[in-house]
Amino acid sequence: MKTFRIRFLLVAIILLFCTTAYGQKLELDVREHTLDNGIKLLMLAKHDVPIVSLRIVYKVGSVNEHPGITGASHLFEHMMFKGTEIFGIKDYDSEKPLLEREDELISKISVEEAKGNDADKEKIKQLEGDLKEVWEKQKELIVRDEMWSIYLKNGATGLNASTGSDATYYYCNLPANRLELWAFMESDRMKNLVLREFYSERDVVMEERRLRTENSPFGLLIEQLNAATFTAHPYGWPVIGWMSDIANMKKAEVAKYFQQYYSPINAVIVVVGDINPDEVIKLIERYFGDVQSQPPPPDVTTVEPEQRGERRIYVEYDANPVLSIAYHKPAVGHPDQYVFDVIEAILSHGRTSRLYKSLIEEKRMAVMAHAYGEPSKYADSFIFFCTPRHPHTAEDVEEAIYEELERLKTTPVTNRELQKVKNQLEADFIRSLESASGLASKIASYEAIYGWRYINTLVERTTVVTPEEVMRVANKYFTKTNRTVAILVNKKKGKEPTDGNNKG
Amino acid sequence: METTKGRISLSHVLILIFILSGFSFVQAKMLFAYNGHGAQTTEPQTTGPQSEGAGIVSKFKYKPIEFTPPKPERLVLDNGMILYLLEDHDLPVFNITTHVRTGAIYEPGEKAGLANLVGNVMRRGGTKTRTPEQMNEELEFIAASVETQIERESGSASLSTMKKDIDKGLEIFADVLMNPAFPEDMIRKEKDEILEDIRRENDNPGQIVFREFRKLLYKKEHPYSRRTIGYKDTIENITRDDMIAFHKKYFHPNNVIMGISGDFDAWEIVEKIKTVFAEWEKAEIDFPEVPVVEKKFQRSVNYIYKDVNQAHVVFGHIGIHRLSKDYFPINIMNFILGGGGFTSRIPSKVRSDEGLAYSAYSAFHTPRDLGFFFAACQTKSESTVKAINLALNEVRRIRDELIDDDELELAKDTYINQFIFKFTSSSSIVGQMVEIEYEGLPLDYLETYVDNIKVITKEDIERVAKEYLHPDKIKLLVIGDMKQFDKPLTEFGEVNTIELE
Repeated sequence: MKTFRIRFLLVAIILLFCTTAYGQKLELDVREHTLDNGIKLLMLAKHDVPIVSLRIVYKVGSVNEHPGITGASHLFEHMMFKGTEIFGIKDYDSEKPLLEREDELISKISVEEAKGNDADKEKIKQLEGDLKEVWEKQKELIVRDEMWSIYLKNGATGLNASTGSDATYYYCNLPANRLELWAFMESDRMKNLVLREFYSERDVVMEERRLRTENSPFGLLIEQLNAATFTAHPYGWPVIGWMSDIANMKKAEVAKYFQQYYSPINAVIVVVGDINPDEVIKLIERYFGDVQSQPPPPDVTTVEPEQRGERRIYVEYDANPVLSIAYHKPAVGHPDQYVFDVIEAILSHGRTSRLYKSLIEEKRMAVMAHAYGEPSKYADSFIFFCTPRHPHTAEDVEEAIYEELERLKTTPVTNRELQKVKNQLEADFIRSLESASGLASKIASYEAIYGWRYINTLVERTTVVTPEEVMRVANKYFTKTNRTVAILVNKKKGKEPTDGNNKG
Repeated sequence: METTKGRISLSHVLILIFILSGFSFVQAKMLFAYNGHGAQTTEPQTTGPQSEGAGIVSKFKYKPIEFTPPKPERLVLDNGMILYLLEDHDLPVFNITTHVRTGAIYEPGEKAGLANLVGNVMRRGGTKTRTPEQMNEELEFIAASVETQIERESGSASLSTMKKDIDKGLEIFADVLMNPAFPEDMIRKEKDEILEDIRRENDNPGQIVFREFRKLLYKKEHPYSRRTIGYKDTIENITRDDMIAFHKKYFHPNNVIMGISGDFDAWEIVEKIKTVFAEWEKAEIDFPEVPVVEKKFQRSVNYIYKDVNQAHVVFGHIGIHRLSKDYFPINIMNFILGGGGFTSRIPSKVRSDEGLAYSAYSAFHTPRDLGFFFAACQTKSESTVKAINLALNEVRRIRDELIDDDELELAKDTYINQFIFKFTSSSSIVGQMVEIEYEGLPLDYLETYVDNIKVITKEDIERVAKEYLHPDKIKLLVIGDMKQFDKPLTEFGEVNTIELE
């Protein structure tokens, strides 16, 4: 069948030739092109289905924020869906004075509010009334969520965006013949974004925070764990931002942030799918070539000081106990990261992993036990999460995890365990080639923190990790001094939560 | 490769070859069918672009896409097992996805949780000749996985392995399906973990909402009202013998639809399947009668107290089953109402316009008997009643007013142009065929899909909105702290307070 032959030939381009169990070198052959203004274009041809998976990455995340504007990167991500001078609005010329008036009224209100007890409440009320009127007028001009609609109408799937500590990602999959539509709309967003409906979107983000953090035992615990783990480095504050920072965020601040960080030098475009790379280069040059270049944004210079002793915190909440532990570890690029990848797999991947076997199958103390040690752009932490099974306590499972860490420090892991990690890594790599969307996301996320070529080192570097290295790394990082423990405790202390035993 | 296994049943190979050549005929027809409309994308015809940008992109011309999605081969074995096969030699991988006709709907109320327990311990407890530890080690060492699960209305089993390990993978996969050991200690472990999950359910309002909403929609006796993982007392009622009997009753080849994709040769794999499942016997299955869902609409307002600063809201009523003749127009109607992301009316109003929620949407849940329509959102306590009213008004409006042309066009173009994404991997292609046949949909479902969307009119939308939406007869459920609400819930009627389990 014709389709199959084409598929076969083209996948051979993805998989370079070499030697593994699969007779292939497990590497991605990404084509790279950099525009004069600094935008980097990464392409991977995969012709089996006429679709294309597109990502734009801006190398900005909560790590670039500072106290007072925590959550700005994420709020800004939401604003990217609100339109530009030509999208999402019937007539920008009529909207412009309204946007200016909005800024003026907002600043007058904050000047008045800043007076504290001396603030003129009547005046504030008047100004707020005026503001509401401006918004009502603006609403008549807005074509709500228009860019989103245009994408859907053209068959887009996986439309989304996400913000992390290190980067912000915009996702879209389209039928392959729609690439130009994407280039036109995305370049317009990069050049002519309008911060429209900023204040109602700020409310949406506050709802998101209530949903994901304030009313979620896990969300709350992770936030508090990070806040205790990092005393100086920005990884300590939540990506979504502190509630008071979101509530007080001003459009002008976010606009300034956008100017500085959403610059071409900070942007990466990833295109995976049924493409001709030469044509893609032409298309991207045509639409993105005229984006004004800018000096690179400042680096994050704050370094988390060495931890000087164990930190323990308790988070009180109306829920059953959960344990979390964090150990500082180095940034991506440090050779120990590959050892952490192996440790994560041995401890936490699958039914034969050590935490599952010990805490769940043998000791029967927990219903969930996981370890996470993925790389980040800056020095971050290796984390454990565990939910104890009643009547076992968080402290019981904490002890059990330490026992496993002691084992790592004192007894070499077996060659079979290492071989298993290697086999899984290779198989996962091959499986990952099936999905254009998955590949695009993978290329985007590694490019954001280090460079996409890191992907091509994973199999090779991880599979040469030795039992001695695992012992060395475990001894170096999994120390009491280097750890932070956060435990979610039921705030209704002394009172057992009601059992779910009644059939309602 | 052990080709000797094939020797005994050469005739089946011939049958398959015959079917395969028949397949190319079907394939040719498919090509025609899909070229006609199928995987081709349509040109959006924006009636009146509202912005300058929309005007510009409406004039974009796109090269047509020609794509013939590979069509899996369907085959019924002598033992009654239905196979869908799709060769894909791009990558050295192999996947099986399987549906088994069973589910929690067939378990007795006093043993609620039985089906779920069987589905989990089948895999976790090992087989008669393989301890769980052996099996886990064997599979994970070769980066393979075998998983089983039983949900409310279906059982499933999957195998994923590299090409070089197909034989080993198939052997374990078949062993798990046919010979699970159900050891007592593993049953106890699984039960204890489920009991812990139940203990933790009330920790998160998001986990409470639909559990309680089902109880409002369906009578207590109906299995749709029950929790599939069971309850503390019913879980303790379940014995090992119950589990063995449940497995024995439903796990037979004639009750299985299997989708196989990856790097294999079709005739070889069929022989292998026959070999590994050779001992599996066909059996008459006497499915217990499931009571018919009562189609009754009665308004009620329900409240659960939880100490949170954001209310979780859901409202809705009995809806349709998956085979409803109006499935397509209802889907398009719901896309416009609240199922199409930001562009649909409920999220547009509640989220984009008013900033009252991060997530606001509506959906039709469509099981085998009557499912339900619902709209849901989470909003800060102080805007609870306002958000409910906004969403409810949208449900009224789509019944009372004819929708706009461009709303219909947006919905239809979205469905038609997204169609190609149903074919992005061979495992998803066979997976959806397994699903289609399991659900009882016509086997040409995909061939007629685009036409079914194309014919929908504004009047269809109006008709299904009037017939299937009943905004005045909703069951409303709110979880939160009433003291902080903007207005009392009595605005919607007498409030029934539910105590958490």
